[in-house]
Amino acid sequence: MSTTETTTTPVEIPSTTRADWQSDQEVRWCPGCGDYTILAALQFALPDMGVRREDTVVVGGIGCAARFPYYMNTYGVHGIHGRAPAIATGVALANPDLSVFVIGGDGDLLSIGGNHLLHALRRNVNLTILLFNNRIYGLTKGQYSPTSEQGKVTKSSPQGSEDAPLIPLSVALGADATFVARTHDMDRKHMEEVFKRAHQHRGAAFVEVLQNCNVFNNHAYEQITARKNREDMIIPLTQGEPIRFGPDGSKGVVLDPKHGAVVVDTADVSEDDLLVHDEARDHPSVAFALSRLSPNMDEPTPMGVFRAVDKPVYGERNPVTEQPPGRQLITDLLHSGSTWTVD
Amino acid sequence: MTTRLVEGSEAVADAMMRAGCRFFAGYPMTPFTEVLEHMAAGLPELGGVCVNAESELEAVGMVWGAAAAGARAATGSTGQGLSLMQESISEASMAGVGFVVLNMARGQGDYYQATRGGGHGDYRTPVLAPTGPAEVAELIAEAFDLADRWRNPVVVVGDYYMAHTWVDIESSADAPAPRPAPGWTLDGSSGGSGAAKLVSPLGTTKQRDGVGYDLAAHYDRCARRRIEMTAGITPRAEQVRTDDAQVVIVAYGTMALYADAVVNDLRAAGHKVGLVRPITLWPFPEEQVRAAAEGADVVAVYENNAGQMIDDVRLSVLGAVPVVGLNGFSTDSSAFGISPDVTVENLTGSILQLLDEHSGDPT
Repeated sequence: MSTTETTTTPVEIPSTTRADWQSDQEVRWCPGCGDYTILAALQFALPDMGVRREDTVVVGGIGCAARFPYYMNTYGVHGIHGRAPAIATGVALANPDLSVFVIGGDGDLLSIGGNHLLHALRRNVNLTILLFNNRIYGLTKGQYSPTSEQGKVTKSSPQGSEDAPLIPLSVALGADATFVARTHDMDRKHMEEVFKRAHQHRGAAFVEVLQNCNVFNNHAYEQITARKNREDMIIPLTQGEPIRFGPDGSKGVVLDPKHGAVVVDTADVSEDDLLVHDEARDHPSVAFALSRLSPNMDEPTPMGVFRAVDKPVYGERNPVTEQPPGRQLITDLLHSGSTWTVD
Repeated sequence: MTTRLVEGSEAVADAMMRAGCRFFAGYPMTPFTEVLEHMAAGLPELGGVCVNAESELEAVGMVWGAAAAGARAATGSTGQGLSLMQESISEASMAGVGFVVLNMARGQGDYYQATRGGGHGDYRTPVLAPTGPAEVAELIAEAFDLADRWRNPVVVVGDYYMAHTWVDIESSADAPAPRPAPGWTLDGSSGGSGAAKLVSPLGTTKQRDGVGYDLAAHYDRCARRRIEMTAGITPRAEQVRTDDAQVVIVAYGTMALYADAVVNDLRAAGHKVGLVRPITLWPFPEEQVRAAAEGADVVAVYENNAGQMIDDVRLSVLGAVPVVGLNGFSTDSSAFGISPDVTVENLTGSILQLLDEHSGDPT
């Protein structure tokens, strides 16, 4: 449990390669699934994370993404649909020395597991949560999910989905998550960097990975993540830098008092007007404004670390030792007057 | 050793911590709430963790995560909360993860839920029903041992009386020693099938060479383990003056306390009445009930519901003796969980009537 001695004991981290993090299981998703590159990115990144395999736990719920525990040469739990954040919370609190990853899709973590996700985030449990957002239920072969765009025609929404989609990063920031980032399955290097940053973060780290489901929701993010579109459509977030993108940095982001974060032509504003990215802002409102850019994933979309702030990690706060007054009174009452001790 | 006067819930929490429980999660619900509060007060000092979870779904989820990570872990609730936990209880049973679940029930309406399980799949959970602080301490420790040994959730049934009656408990000033993490959770060995590293209700029988995990083999293993567990747990019951009893009452938990009083009163008046109090509700003490019923005129099942345990009593007696239900009690509107009709006077009247009805029967 929470003993500081064990967390500070230095352990020798053996040098590993990607292969050391691969299990002996045959990796099986649909051919062309974005999950293959995400798995590869995580396994390429892990040797740089400074953890031992035996101190690493991967917890999945149910869904395509949740198959990760089978493919990782670590400890793992393939748990219950939606419940991965709760199970991972138990793992992390029972043994704070572990690196605990939660892997789930938009169904697992935002539908049935939405509540669990919110509470893991607001508690700031030391977890690295990777949400693969393909905006569809893939394992059950193509029904709309909580991130599917309004009007989406699927097998369970033949007239088009009426539901308004959730924006995962807005949800996480709404829960005051201390680390919030976005990456995508078409850029392995970017994924590796974001995963390393997320793992390095103390507390709950939330990463949305835009992921293509080439069978049930193909081209989900093509207009953003396809190589030819990236320059115009991806807004890279660089700490301390004014937010610019597009050919020759011709576009930028400003904060507008009425409309939040807004994309502008940099020619129309002065350099000083551009929003300087600061992931360490204590207040989540600017990060939230950025998360609202491209709500339907068809406009320029920020990519990178939106927020990274230090807050006490769950289980490491200083305890309050004062008794609530009511309980103190009843205890005093019961132990007052004629009491005796039986030896 | 000192004797302390404590609320029943504190006795339960004390027993859990002494049994080595170091992770607890729960969601408040009367009359379970105070157990959660006492665990929250006591666990941090022992280096443990208690979480006021956002629902019973999360509480049991956290607990099976903690158990998978090697902690002695427990959760609990009251009736409805247990309903929410059934999914995890059945899945954890399939995954081979052991922990303890308390049902501080209102009344005895959850007998079926506890003994049959409200979840899915082919699983069972051992169910223990203690009365009195000494037995609470003993059976809670046993529940953790059973959870570890059989890698299966174990249910401990309590009720309002157990939670809210003040009792005296023996306790030493020493903090209970932490129990070492069970080595069996996962062995961590590398290579092989992955069975050594993965907790999964779907089993860990994944194979190579294009063959997926073998669910049939896993469920077969689960079934065998359940049969082995059933045979490996000795059913327990307390017998009170059943040797020559004409009327044998069968009752568990708080209802057995009423029955015990009635048996003592009626024996003092010369009536041949006895009591069997099942202590393990699953496996059910069939042998003890059958033996006590032998030679009796009638078996009376006294339970605070519309008749649930009576099925297990009938299965035990197998028609050898008439079995009647002294039940049909609802839980009362005070939420205390004990019907106002449950009184020593009423039960005495019912037993006297049974003695009268069966007085002419040859035995």
